[in-house]
Amino acid sequence: MLAAVTTTLQRWPIIGRRSELEVFEKALCSGEQAGLVIHGRPGVGKTRLADECLQWAAASGYPTERVVGSRTTDLLPLGAVTGLLAGGLGRPGPDGQVNMVALFEDTRRALLARHEGHRLVTVADDVTLLDAASLALLGYLAAQGTIFLIATVRTGDPVPDLLTDLWRDGRAARVDLQDLSRTQLDTLLHLALGGPIEAGAGREFWEITEGNPLYVHELVLGALESAVLVERSGVWHLEGRLPATSRLRDLVEQRIGGLTPQARSVLELLALTQPLELGYLETTAPSEVLESLERAGLIAVTDWEVRVAHPLHGEVVRAAMPRLRTRGILLAEAERLEASRPDPGPAALRIAVWRLDAGGRPDPAILVRGAHLARSAHDFRLVRRLIEAVPADKVDGVAALLLGEALYETGAFEAAERALARGQGLPSSEQVALRLAVMRAKNAQWGLCQTEAALAINAAARAVVTSPPLAEELVADEASIWTFSGHPDRALEVLERLPDGDRRTRVVRAIAAAPALAVTGRTAEALRVAESGYADHIALGDELAIAHPAMHIVNQVFALAEAGRLAEAEQLARAGAEIVASNRVPIAQIFFATSQGRVAILQGRLATARRYYAEAAGLAEASLFAGPRRLVLSGLALAHALLGESDAAARVLAERAAGPAFGFRGPEQQLADAWTAIASRHPDQGARLFREAASLAASTGHRTNEAWVLHDLMRATGEDTSGRLRELAAACDSPLVSARARHAAAARARNARELAGAADDFEALGALLLAAEAASGAAEAFTRAGDRRAATAALRRANVLTAACEGAATPGLVQPAGAVPLSGREREIVVLAAEGMTSRDIAERLYLSVRTVDNHLQHAYAKLGVSSRAGLAQALGSES
Amino acid sequence: MTPEQIALVQSSFERVGPDLPNLATRFYQELFGLNPALRPLFTTDLTLQKVRFAEKLTEIVWAFPRLPELLAHTRALGARHAGYGVRAADYQTVCDALLGALAAVLGDAFDAPTREAWVTAYNLVAETMLEGAASARPIGA
Repeated sequence: MLAAVTTTLQRWPIIGRRSELEVFEKALCSGEQAGLVIHGRPGVGKTRLADECLQWAAASGYPTERVVGSRTTDLLPLGAVTGLLAGGLGRPGPDGQVNMVALFEDTRRALLARHEGHRLVTVADDVTLLDAASLALLGYLAAQGTIFLIATVRTGDPVPDLLTDLWRDGRAARVDLQDLSRTQLDTLLHLALGGPIEAGAGREFWEITEGNPLYVHELVLGALESAVLVERSGVWHLEGRLPATSRLRDLVEQRIGGLTPQARSVLELLALTQPLELGYLETTAPSEVLESLERAGLIAVTDWEVRVAHPLHGEVVRAAMPRLRTRGILLAEAERLEASRPDPGPAALRIAVWRLDAGGRPDPAILVRGAHLARSAHDFRLVRRLIEAVPADKVDGVAALLLGEALYETGAFEAAERALARGQGLPSSEQVALRLAVMRAKNAQWGLCQTEAALAINAAARAVVTSPPLAEELVADEASIWTFSGHPDRALEVLERLPDGDRRTRVVRAIAAAPALAVTGRTAEALRVAESGYADHIALGDELAIAHPAMHIVNQVFALAEAGRLAEAEQLARAGAEIVASNRVPIAQIFFATSQGRVAILQGRLATARRYYAEAAGLAEASLFAGPRRLVLSGLALAHALLGESDAAARVLAERAAGPAFGFRGPEQQLADAWTAIASRHPDQGARLFREAASLAASTGHRTNEAWVLHDLMRATGEDTSGRLRELAAACDSPLVSARARHAAAARARNARELAGAADDFEALGALLLAAEAASGAAEAFTRAGDRRAATAALRRANVLTAACEGAATPGLVQPAGAVPLSGREREIVVLAAEGMTSRDIAERLYLSVRTVDNHLQHAYAKLGVSSRAGLAQALGSES
Repeated sequence: MTPEQIALVQSSFERVGPDLPNLATRFYQELFGLNPALRPLFTTDLTLQKVRFAEKLTEIVWAFPRLPELLAHTRALGARHAGYGVRAADYQTVCDALLGALAAVLGDAFDAPTREAWVTAYNLVAETMLEGAASARPIGA
């Protein structure tokens, strides 16, 4: 992919400039206009547009020329335009001076001769920097129609008289270039990178560049070079801060280079400590300095606050400041802020960070206070930085807890284990001791993937934490360990012994209970628990050592899916994914993408499922959470296998095998292995894997999972699993499990009406692949029973349903006419053709052109080995 | 575009499903309502035009996850449209018409994130069509 990107980047796309290019084309082709003036701020893309115009002109057969103004050539008369001086430099007259009028006229004639009367399209970049003689020559040639002048002018630069004259006469067109809009930036990034970009990364590019094309260009190149912008599973992610390249620094320096020392120091102060109150700034700098900065567009002033106008300017100013100066400003500002109020409150964070940035040693109390504030903003990297600056002998239990959580959240699991274990050795309150234990167990389970260690940590804490509400939370936490290690039955047993508890305990309990209830077949209860858990969590606020509130929504999606309420599950998962994408909580993003993939699998939207899982795989890889990554890769392999992509499925499974085991939804993980075996045409191995998964599910209380596995065993191999499925249907309150049981029983009895009924059930739930397979089975059974009319109807239905399954390739989708699968569209058309419809009728019905219909029919004929519509009807077993 | 936006465009388009003919009809109503001057640009039979529109839209929507395939569609389509005399400004009108048609057909399902996803998707299509048009436009057209 990177090779593709670098080739793409050599031709950086030009976006949002087509209207301007049309203005140019029209002006050039009209023959009446002498030129085009391109106005705009630095970096907006004036030169790029001028070059694009030049290229177009060259491709259309015009001769072209380029002159560039610069700070050095403007001293030398005609220095910039030597390329135009086709007739030489002119002869000095008797007075020793060159006659300019004669020189211009000689040049005009020589150019006409050189280009055989064609107008020379000439770009004058940064025209205001040209010397007066060059400008006069260009003006003369343009007015005479010898050249078509494309001039670029920076906004704010004085426009030379030559151009104003041309405008006044209506002989020059003019365009004002603006920065890109958000949408245009998205298009630019998509084309430059060759694929989609993760939402948070796209937003970051927007926030820093504000659509300035040059800044975007520099930042993208810098980020690619330093591998901060990386592609994972087809999606671009940002891993770290966008680097300011040296070219970018030069650009910004150009923009702010001419400032007075006083104005520059205001900018420096703001770059380090913004936003600052307007009132305070006015005491440090004269108001005319502030006004000039505002006029130059370098600072933005609101009612109360002042900021550096462009985020990138701030970054570059900061990077260019001498270390000692930075330090002096930061320490002085920290002091001022601290002195200005008795209780620093939320300002504690700023004070702590400034002192750290200055290389100072902030008061540990301020650091911990700041860490709490950073934590409430979910800025875990800053939490790490602040606590790691606290001297070792000043780290207490609370600081250790903050640090441990931050290390865990940023993927440093081994370091988190060390920090939390050390914290447990320090004297602290019972409450802090509890949270240290819970956090350490969570890190052991989710980070290090060591369930036994997590259980041991929980058990050891029971000896220390004994007061009622806290001890209860430990019990709820034990249940959580059981749930997420694949033992829902044990989790529910533990929870039964637990009284209702305080709010925090209820929240922890809900996180553990909802998935356990859903998977053991108590879906309605699971949904209620997840809903009230979410409400409790919101009322509780964002506390330490507890999961993200979005986990309750993930649990609701799971419960809805297990209940077969697939449309609702899809909707909720989508809403949740949107919320967490804007918050950038990696673990929650992974879980939502996974939930979306899982629901799509159940719906039979397999390509969609594959897409969600691929996205989740990229996120999981970036976030270092090995356990969730295993779930994701299992889902991705399953989607590949159901699509018949056995090689891809096997590759993903090999990747999964490189990570540690993770017990959550264990039987479901094994579906991937079983279906991959089926797709690779190893049905015996597949059947064995399905049976293993089923017995794991049975021994751990995964009832809805067991039903899924047993139903899939029947779908994949035809093995009768109806007996156990009937028991599971009775034990679960899920219409999806009941429909699975009905399907298996009907398949066993080869009961066509019941198979059609199962198809109805599945379709009503939105499980279209399962419905398609049941309808295929019904068609077969009707055919066997000699009911051709019903068979045709069932077949037609199966075909329509299969068409919605985005390329599904499961054995249960009976291919009535042989082994070669028809595409969804071909199926649709074939069924209609077999019913006797003409191509024109079909075209009308399906909204296609007749030619397309005929093409599809030809393909279908070839695949089915028939040569006529009659043959088609026969192949489909219809009576028409 | 973000992967979520691609998914949103595709899932909402899937939702249109059998209403695709309505979407096409509605699109041309909106388009000619917004700019009646565009009507003469369509010289082919409008019924056939709608069929082509629906087909092309389907191809493009499903090609979004694979950029090279998408570009092959849009550049060729843009080149063809340059021949019809379509200009950059017309693309905005087409965008408004498409959004109007989608809103009418999808109703409440056409929520703000879905709309934003379509706007972003459309911009990608329009820019690359215009690119195709630029490289195909004959001199003086």
